Amino acid sequence: MTDYDVIVIGGGSTGTAVARDCALRGLKTLLLERDDIASATVGTCAGMISSGFKYYDEPDIMDMCSQEVVYFRRIARHIIMKDPILMPFSELEELTRGGEASSFTDEYAKRAKERGVPPVMFLSPEQSLSIEPSLNPDMAACLYYEEYFIDPFRLCLLQAIDAKQHGATIKTYCEVTGIEATKPAKRVTFYNRATRQVECADGKLIVNAGGPWAGKVAAMAGAPLDLRLNKGAHVILDRRIVNVGISSKAADGRWIYLYPHENTTLLGTTALDTWEDPDVIVASHDEIEYLLKSMEWVVPSIRQARIIRTMEGVRPLVPEWKRSEDKVTRGYRIIDHEKDGVDGLISFTGGKLVMCRHMAEAVTNLVSKKLGRETVCRTHLDSLPGNGADVDVLALAAEYGLSQHAVERLRARRGTETSAVLALTKEHPEWKSTICTCEPVIEAELRYAIRNEFPQTIGDLRRRVRLGTGPCQGTFCTFKAAAVLAEELDLSGEQYQLEMIDFLAERWKGKRPPMRGGQLGQEELTQGLYACVANLDHTDLPYELKPWEEAA
Amino acid sequence: MSEEEAYRTVSATLEQERIIPFKTDELEVVRSAEKCVNCGLCLNHCPVVRAVGVDRFSGPRSIAVELSRSPPDFWSTADKVYLCTSCGTCREVCPFNVNMPDIVNMVRARIFKQRPDLVPRGLRAVRETIAKYSLAFEPWEDPNEKTESRDARLQAAGLPFIKDRTVKGAEVLFYPGCQAEERAQEVKEAAKFILNYFGVDFTLLEEMSCCGLPSRLIGDDETSRSLAARLREKVNLLGVKKIVTTCAGCTSNLSDMSVRDNWGVPVYHLIEFLAEEIGLERLSEAFTEGSRAGEVLTTIHDPCHLIRHTSRQISDHVIAVLNLIPNVTVVPSGVADSCCGGGGMVGYHSRDVADAVVAYNLGPISATKANRLVAPCPLCTAQIERNLFNTGSDIQVDDLAVFIAQRLPQER
Repeated sequence: MTDYDVIVIGGGSTGTAVARDCALRGLKTLLLERDDIASATVGTCAGMISSGFKYYDEPDIMDMCSQEVVYFRRIARHIIMKDPILMPFSELEELTRGGEASSFTDEYAKRAKERGVPPVMFLSPEQSLSIEPSLNPDMAACLYYEEYFIDPFRLCLLQAIDAKQHGATIKTYCEVTGIEATKPAKRVTFYNRATRQVECADGKLIVNAGGPWAGKVAAMAGAPLDLRLNKGAHVILDRRIVNVGISSKAADGRWIYLYPHENTTLLGTTALDTWEDPDVIVASHDEIEYLLKSMEWVVPSIRQARIIRTMEGVRPLVPEWKRSEDKVTRGYRIIDHEKDGVDGLISFTGGKLVMCRHMAEAVTNLVSKKLGRETVCRTHLDSLPGNGADVDVLALAAEYGLSQHAVERLRARRGTETSAVLALTKEHPEWKSTICTCEPVIEAELRYAIRNEFPQTIGDLRRRVRLGTGPCQGTFCTFKAAAVLAEELDLSGEQYQLEMIDFLAERWKGKRPPMRGGQLGQEELTQGLYACVANLDHTDLPYELKPWEEAA
Repeated sequence: MSEEEAYRTVSATLEQERIIPFKTDELEVVRSAEKCVNCGLCLNHCPVVRAVGVDRFSGPRSIAVELSRSPPDFWSTADKVYLCTSCGTCREVCPFNVNMPDIVNMVRARIFKQRPDLVPRGLRAVRETIAKYSLAFEPWEDPNEKTESRDARLQAAGLPFIKDRTVKGAEVLFYPGCQAEERAQEVKEAAKFILNYFGVDFTLLEEMSCCGLPSRLIGDDETSRSLAARLREKVNLLGVKKIVTTCAGCTSNLSDMSVRDNWGVPVYHLIEFLAEEIGLERLSEAFTEGSRAGEVLTTIHDPCHLIRHTSRQISDHVIAVLNLIPNVTVVPSGVADSCCGGGGMVGYHSRDVADAVVAYNLGPISATKANRLVAPCPLCTAQIERNLFNTGSDIQVDDLAVFIAQRLPQER
């Protein structure tokens, strides 16, 4: 007897989408994630659900991207925002060279209407500057287009929660250590990091959505899987410093961008083939300078802006070699390892955030076929949790006596769930208190997330509620969040302290590489609070430095 | 698609996404907000937080690290940012000099456009008055009544009337501000008397119009900019070299505008003008010849718009000038520089907050045993006077211009 029809390995955008699709189709599903939902590649992306604009020479991909945007706006409109984007050109010739401009504007225009955006347009320098005065006035014209952005953390989490609500089992902090091709089922062994126990589960089929680790996972089953790993860095600024997104050519002719995102601005991205361990990579000085230097040409004041951190992730590209990264297809491949003599294992390579649902649909079709089950995909029709009627922020703020902005930010994360979070404060009015002062996050939302969204660490809470992602980078919320977490999960005093150190270490990973200017003062304050006041640097805790932390 | 059509389409998207582009002069304000490290020092000094608590007004640090980060969400901050009195105390104590008053104005400007319905009702009424009359106060319906009121105030203050004059090419424009023009007319008259006494070549405007500060504080940036532009035009036409005003708010706002829009004309508060341009020596001589209206024990209130938005030195000027007057003794209250609560237009929509702020000052003022309080701002004067009166205090509150005028010789 097997435990599961499908065991999905990996809790990123693809893995959670697969788990959701399988669960919605009535397949008995287990999702295993070695860390937390959205804790790796997808958590370091810009959140753009792209029109596929850059891939105009792959029209099928553009079709797919556009269609997926339409679906996302149907199933998760509460976590989607639109950014208008300006792309300045210094010479008109740049636009017309080789017919490049007309190809992408034409391809974009064909699919604009279904996404609810206008076609690509051209704006004069004067018009462009009135929209974005930070632009370098030395330009010939701007190309204007619009893209949608989603909260990638919430998307993955909602997919996982929806899967769970439809019967799937979601296990985070469970790292797969072995795959045994027993018949008829496959046995997956995993180390549960929370219980420190080795466990196993049997499944008829395994879907390997391990992202950059997919090769390692396939190898456990004895299947070969080639991936072209490519790392990318983002520089994160403390607030929205531009009115609209800016897209421009980088020092090497690649496209980079500056996108307002949530309460921040993202500058990205780099693309470097990598053979490093995805777990320990941090943005390098070269990557940061490459981004700043490249953006400086179009936004000359960029270096005056406050950088709060960087994030670095690894793309699991389709293994097309001996060509530059941007020429590698942005499509995805489904690899049925039956051809390698390993049946029951299916892997992904490639793909983009916007395609995660499509990838899941395709693989679940294959899974169903292999299982001999007739199923119908509903993931493009059924709402994710929180997607629903408009939420009356002002009425809720008045009803609960909360700041309107706090409620509005809560709504932007949770849509119709907002009321359920606020309802907790009826019994506990003290939970209206602010935990994260920057985003902001109130205690009730933390409690709600802890009780309903299976976080185990403060870092998990960050992904669920954006805790500690603002200018102070956890300075004033870490100790409060740790206390709430300790109370809810019944942690010991020592665990409480370790939680704080772990979270601060995780923040440090992104803060350290770009640290300069105003952020130095911020860091002094952080260190003062946690070292000098809380004495966390003089505790006798069983804490091991993270790979990116410098030894004392 | 033509460029115009394209621009219209883009503008529609911007409006739909609630994006109101920063103006070039606002980019510096954004830069300033970025400096906040969330230390919270400002929270211990903010007079509004002290008066009503962080649940009602979340304070300057929350405006910097939270409320001002995402312009499309600014509409949702109306319940907080309209409670800032723009006193600038936070900017003074901030280790990074975060320019909170201007950040607040930048946020309000977007609320005003995104959700005019969320602008406090009391401010919408002021806005209508400004739109109708280009003045922050409704003007007198009957000019004769205005004159009668002026004369009554002059008589009460014991001051003679100096004829109004509009002279092209005069050295100085005396700009009384809306409050002294329409309400506290004795302040305007006292200033005219003082300028006249010292033989200053001054002119008034042909037609008084607002400097734009109230509109700026309401968030009506467009009106504020157009009022400033109109005033600038009048200043240019008159060809004056300096502007002198008796209003603290006008002083700081006109200084800001003059710098921002390159007017090329310096702006003085009357007390600055007296101390710096007339000189303490001439003042001293005049006071020696002046009337010896009984002994006065006076304490001072320093308007935020002067000491924090313009220069702390003005506070010294006030003391220096008062010290020249025979029979006048200045006693410090210890709260002279604490906000009167009347700024930021807070009193127009949340009187309870404004009064809670000034309540902090009342005890120490009474404790000085002074029988007088002087303030170089008609707005502060009115706010403190009303609140002192309500506590049963018999301390008389005077605008500094009136207090000085009364102590100059009436005939030369």
